[in-house]
Amino acid sequence: MIDLLLAVFSTTFLFTVIRTTTPLLLATLGGLLSDLGGALNVALEGMMLIAALTAVIVSVYAPWYVAVLSGLFAGALLGALMALFHLRFKADIILVGFAVNILAVGGTVFALAMATGGDKGTSINLPSKAIPAIHLPFLEAIPLVGPVLFQLFSGHSTLTWFAGFAVFGVWYVLYRTPYGLWLRGVGEYPTAPEAAGIPVNKVRLWSLIGSGAFAGLAGAQLAMFNYVGFTRDMTAGRGFIALGAVLLGARHPVGALLAALLFGFFEALAIVMPNHVRWMPGEMIQTIPFVVTVIALILFSYRSRRASQLKTLTRI
Amino acid sequence: MPPLLQAESITRIYPGGTVANDGVSLSVGAGEIHAVVGENGAGKSTLMKILFGLEQPDAGQLRLEGKPIAFANPREAIDAGIGMVFQHFSLVPSFTVYENVALGSEPRSGIRFDREKAIAQVRALSDQFKLRVDPLARVSNLPVGQQQRVEILKALYRDARILILDEPTAVLAPQEVEELFVAIRALVAQGRTVIFIAHKLPEVLAISDRITVMRAGRTVGEVATSEVTEKELATLMVGREVSLGVERSQSDGGRACEIDTVSIQSEAGVSLATDLSLNVYAGEVVGLVGVEGNGQAELLEAVAGLRSVTSGEIRLKGENIVPLGVLDRRGRGVASIPEDRLAEGLAPGATVAENLVATRLGDPRFVRRGVLDLKAIRANAIALIDRFSIRVGGPAFAVGTLSGGNMQKVVVARELAEQPELLLVNQPTRGVDLGATQFIWASITRARDAGAAVLLSSADLSELLALSDRLVVFYRGRIVAAFINSGDLSAETLGAFMLGLETQDETTMKAALR
Repeated sequence: MIDLLLAVFSTTFLFTVIRTTTPLLLATLGGLLSDLGGALNVALEGMMLIAALTAVIVSVYAPWYVAVLSGLFAGALLGALMALFHLRFKADIILVGFAVNILAVGGTVFALAMATGGDKGTSINLPSKAIPAIHLPFLEAIPLVGPVLFQLFSGHSTLTWFAGFAVFGVWYVLYRTPYGLWLRGVGEYPTAPEAAGIPVNKVRLWSLIGSGAFAGLAGAQLAMFNYVGFTRDMTAGRGFIALGAVLLGARHPVGALLAALLFGFFEALAIVMPNHVRWMPGEMIQTIPFVVTVIALILFSYRSRRASQLKTLTRI
Repeated sequence: MPPLLQAESITRIYPGGTVANDGVSLSVGAGEIHAVVGENGAGKSTLMKILFGLEQPDAGQLRLEGKPIAFANPREAIDAGIGMVFQHFSLVPSFTVYENVALGSEPRSGIRFDREKAIAQVRALSDQFKLRVDPLARVSNLPVGQQQRVEILKALYRDARILILDEPTAVLAPQEVEELFVAIRALVAQGRTVIFIAHKLPEVLAISDRITVMRAGRTVGEVATSEVTEKELATLMVGREVSLGVERSQSDGGRACEIDTVSIQSEAGVSLATDLSLNVYAGEVVGLVGVEGNGQAELLEAVAGLRSVTSGEIRLKGENIVPLGVLDRRGRGVASIPEDRLAEGLAPGATVAENLVATRLGDPRFVRRGVLDLKAIRANAIALIDRFSIRVGGPAFAVGTLSGGNMQKVVVARELAEQPELLLVNQPTRGVDLGATQFIWASITRARDAGAAVLLSSADLSELLALSDRLVVFYRGRIVAAFINSGDLSAETLGAFMLGLETQDETTMKAALR
């Protein structure tokens, strides 16, 4: 137990947390955009999976950044497709989302087999590339805290830094620009922006495209950094954890960051634990991030209920 | 100089064949307060929708300052300087006042929403037109009267010269109406023009300069307010003399229903009503007074069995009915005319006959061994259509094709087909024309005289004052005052209690609560 605690408080563990958090954070930001726009994007999972495979295959033939962009576009395209079915053909957004997820599970295995010449499990025999890590040697020169900072922040994926800045970027767009105002208005009470002459469906379209783009980046990070190469079902429910993180983060970008970090922490824990806790079967440890998601959401809904009760009590 | 805004022989026929406007003309001069009055269904709303570009006329011409003009959508009307405030507000609840006002026409600096500028603009408009509201307040925390000001500010922010207010006083308490009128006068004093849709005549006479009267899709007259009396106006509106007086209850029966320290919470755990205690006697109407959302509707739902109570008892003839379901309560003589006839009272796609037996599918007269007795259901419908003079082509017509008044009559007919012990009524005449109103009031009083205890809630204070024997005022989920309805009880008195401006002492309240 002691050695597990020591492992958790080590910089290597925190480094792993940042790494596991990155795809979750990107997907959560994607979920946030569509959720605020009024459509619960249950397809984050499928979008990530398709984008991951797209990025891996493209990276075989093109530089890494082109591969990442192709992942982004794959996600965005799926978002636009969902918008088409939801807004034009009036299909239920949840059903459309599940259609994308089902398509992703079968479609990626099929496409993988085509690309690898028959391998239905992994892309191990494809020479796919990785996203370069950003090394920050100057951090080490800082006296006292330098080595710790270096171990913590040097060597992360380019997309990790992007995700960090994206939290601020998304916040800025949502709360400081007219477009954010429109998006939040459309999600909460579409009659109001409609009466004000705002093209409601166009706003919804762009929120789904943005949502897909972030999920696409999450997929690229997963298959080009956290793991290099594609494995079937490699998203393993991260898209749904991200949906939980949107709610847990109180539908706010900073909350999304904190919630993603929480889930990233438990995912990292599930990676580290098997080496220290031998009496617990590995499968059980693997379920920790999902159990934590459920518990966190229950506590959150209980808390917000209490909060609204307290609010009315003070008002009366 | 031509009038500012003119509508010339506007005709609008809906796809169903309903002639909503039949050669309607309206002429509004610059800087005047022009009221358009008429019963529900007279075509006022259709005319306003045409003026605001929400609907296009099938024939006729609009003119702005004498020049012909047509609006394909509201945006074009807004650009031409016309603003409209609907009865149902279009505000985003979690946004602040300034965000709602600026939404869609935000001041920008670069790609940024220039919030300081928006706040300053809203503050300036609010001072200029005496529409007092804090730009930084969250809309969901504002009372209805202030939300309405935000809507007016929204129109002014988009430079509306002509402001159309669609039944603006319907949702307001009397004191708030006075404040609205102050703001309207300020608007006109500064050169704006106001078109005021209404059906409450005293208000129209108090605020307007000229009045256009509509009836059955036509304009039947235009008069200067100073040259007309309320009675003349009413006659013009209805086309005949009307009396809406209701006989007070004579009988004094036993205690039918006791509501004993009932508290109600929403599903989210928010308290909606606290410690309500109230008795209703057989043969009397108790009016539940309050601004919407203060617990009256929730109490009616709780008594009907549509909402659970967190504590307290509801006793019908001494028996606690709280543990019982809706059907069991109905079986013991509870009848309910719900607030929203389309959502809660009727199945719009089903026929009149089906709707009339929908609450009695356990009755062997209509259902035998699990099979509908269509003949009996039809006979029942024909009898009720006749008894409640419902205007419909026959029992097999879908309820959704009827007019508002006739739909409401279907609900009333079903609930009063058999004499209830306890009748719950919420907004019985909302969106119903005067003729049907008269009939529905008479039906309620007839049920009362036959011994029903009646709990009535309505947004229309004059309706409550006309029908109730006793009145109970709700404020923030509590009963704050009770009155025995004597002739000298006025809407203003009730209004002060509805807004929590006044409190009643315990003994007076106890006495009136019986």
